[in-house]
Amino acid sequence: MARPQTVRAPTAASLPNNLRVPSSTPSLTKSLGKLSRQALLDLALTWLDDRNIASFPPYLQTDGEDGPDDDQALPYPAGKTIEEVRQVYEDLQDRKGAKREVLERILEGDWRHGITLRQLAMADLRYMDDHPASLRWTALELSRIDTKRKNSKSPPPTDWSGSVPRMQAATFVQSLQREISPLVKAHYHLAHSATLPLTFLRIFVVDSPYQSPRRAAEIFTDSSRVIYVAFPDSCPYVYTSIAASTGPKSAPSTSSLATDTRTLQRLVRDSIPKALSRPQERFSLQATSLAAKNLPTLLALRGPGRSTASTGAFSIFADAAIEGSPLDPRPSNTVSPEEHIRASHSSPTEGKENTNGSVNKRRSSAIDTAPLSPDSKKRRLAIHSRFGTLGSSLAPAPLDRLDIRLLDKPGSSDGQYDDDDDSMSTLPAISLTFTGSDVIGGIRKLAELGIVDPERMPSWMTGEEGVSVATVRLGERLRTDT
Amino acid sequence: MTTSTSRVPASPDPEEEELETEIASIRAEIQNLQKHKRFLTSSLLATDPIQKLLRKQPQPPTTTDPTDPLTTISPIVHSAGAHTSSNHHRIAFGATAFPFKDPSPTAGSATLLGVRIDVCARNGRFAKPYYIILQHEHNRAVSGSAKMLKVYRHTVPGFISIAKLESVYLPRPGVTRENGNGHRGSSSGEDEDAEPAKPWKKSGSSARKQDLRGFVRELRRELVAWHMRVDAVEFLREKLGLVGEGGGSLPFDVSPDRDTGIVSLAAVAVEARYVRVEWVDGRVGRFKLSNAGIVERAVVIGDEGRDKKVEDAMTGGGGRVETILDRLRVDVLSRSPGL
Repeated sequence: MARPQTVRAPTAASLPNNLRVPSSTPSLTKSLGKLSRQALLDLALTWLDDRNIASFPPYLQTDGEDGPDDDQALPYPAGKTIEEVRQVYEDLQDRKGAKREVLERILEGDWRHGITLRQLAMADLRYMDDHPASLRWTALELSRIDTKRKNSKSPPPTDWSGSVPRMQAATFVQSLQREISPLVKAHYHLAHSATLPLTFLRIFVVDSPYQSPRRAAEIFTDSSRVIYVAFPDSCPYVYTSIAASTGPKSAPSTSSLATDTRTLQRLVRDSIPKALSRPQERFSLQATSLAAKNLPTLLALRGPGRSTASTGAFSIFADAAIEGSPLDPRPSNTVSPEEHIRASHSSPTEGKENTNGSVNKRRSSAIDTAPLSPDSKKRRLAIHSRFGTLGSSLAPAPLDRLDIRLLDKPGSSDGQYDDDDDSMSTLPAISLTFTGSDVIGGIRKLAELGIVDPERMPSWMTGEEGVSVATVRLGERLRTDT
Repeated sequence: MTTSTSRVPASPDPEEEELETEIASIRAEIQNLQKHKRFLTSSLLATDPIQKLLRKQPQPPTTTDPTDPLTTISPIVHSAGAHTSSNHHRIAFGATAFPFKDPSPTAGSATLLGVRIDVCARNGRFAKPYYIILQHEHNRAVSGSAKMLKVYRHTVPGFISIAKLESVYLPRPGVTRENGNGHRGSSSGEDEDAEPAKPWKKSGSSARKQDLRGFVRELRRELVAWHMRVDAVEFLREKLGLVGEGGGSLPFDVSPDRDTGIVSLAAVAVEARYVRVEWVDGRVGRFKLSNAGIVERAVVIGDEGRDKKVEDAMTGGGGRVETILDRLRVDVLSRSPGL
């Protein structure tokens, strides 16, 4: 099926969906091998679905007729009809077996003529759905740039919607392509996540102007060339990610370009707001000093839900953990927060995205009802008031890293501060970096153990700011540096 | 947790297992009954006759007697009464205020003002309350004028722009000039004619009063409108039989609705501003819901381009979203050109 590559002219078009990566490429085995057996089967069945069969045709016997007749040498005979191929995967699904078997069947059997770029992209996104913590994501805020200053006294009272750009997938990709095509060649894949309220855009970049690069097929599976952009539903944020080192280390052959991927990434990131913009409606991206490995965390802290603007001590409000519905006859102080959270399910968003997942975890949070000394009881109350539901098992939004820069003078007490000195003096700024699977949860644990004083610790330790990078002075986060 | 019984690892005895599950189910039932009992006691305490009875009771003679049952239960009754009345406020007005103290040691001593907004959904239940926590700002010496409020924390979903609302209803001197620009006035593209009057308006706006009532009213209206939109879409889905018994969407492909030929109808995003419709013959449509529940705009595209007739049917006839399915019925549509 190899296309004649005699004529190679540089074009501005994107890499086609149906550009096939030879199945014999070793790194292809690796990058597909990341997926679980079930995921591979699901993917294969998706490819064989009636709606997709035109995009991902399997290798059938009819295809082999005009080619060299080496079918007998291969372990997997080509199927006669699509139905037959489909049956094979359904059979595989029914019985247990190794992942290897499915993988080989795909690569050496039904898609021996190559895996298309779109198939690769689908496999990657499937992996992301299964492993939401596989990449490090940075949250950016979309904000509108207004060229005209309008101080009208009576703005239209109907439009209080946030600056969420109306995005039509195809149009957006087209204008993104227009933005970056002079600089890089890319393959785009846009899909809604199956598990999270997100739309993923996977951009694979090559820096060759040719339609079918004559490079080794390895680069198509080079994960450092992939950029992910995620658009959470209905909120003015964008998450971006460089696929750092999740994939196989296939970069060495392209060492001259290894440094280049960062530039490519920046180019792409710069062009996203431009692609989202329309005449009279321009957007820019702003950093929100939050980066985390976990997509659910980002959704909780910079997402469409309730917890975006109230975390830390205020998470009790986000989870509605202190008061029940107005129809509840029980005084709210007699009802446990867990029950409150569970009871109020009827919010249209929360029911789907947030609570469902966490409620199950909430149940497992075994609140030991052992008799407490008055001291630890007091501490527990203080912890509850400081952290709210955050960091406990109630609201899982784990930060994997927290960087804090303290600008306070060592030894200076809280009351006195002299701003004039700070700018010029050569104070050693103290930087603290917390890493772990759940930083805020860890601080909460420390407070529970009595190592951190829950009443006196500054609010950034409770995750109230919802950031992963902050500069702090006198316990308050400075907002200017964001 | 009482429900999670400690399971014996790999117990082969089926009898034992049976007992285990039985115990678990009984425990669950006990819990349920206890919950029910608490519900009943608190409802009973909150009822009008009991509250009245206790109010009538003269206080002084009873307080001396510790054995009197009325003294011991009176705090409970009082708290029940207070709770009921606050619930009444929440139901009737939908917006209630409360003080909140930031537990952070660096937060200062001023209490924050909390506003709670309750929205009733279609199923007769109340959604999770929305909260806005406002902060008094008094860092700049504004000649001792009235306290300036500023939104500190909130739990309003992201697609409602608190910043826009705040800049209109809770303007603060200084802020409106500097960074209010990013959000201010961005909502409209139609008041260019106001430009000549700008300098005058600017001076006027900085002196504008903060309007907390307006802020809450407008925010609540927006939240209610969102819930109504979501409910309307849910209602249409139910009518089409796209919603399963448990409330979730059906896992299998649904047969098209007989009257309209619609196979799928769903809100486009969480905001539920746009609704996407698919017909069995491959036509795809999208309509926009206004806050009042009117279909504002509609686009339907089939293989032969736009289907104006269906579009007109969607927006026509008053445009109420609840009756859209009646307007889209095939027999109604086919009859309309003859009229």
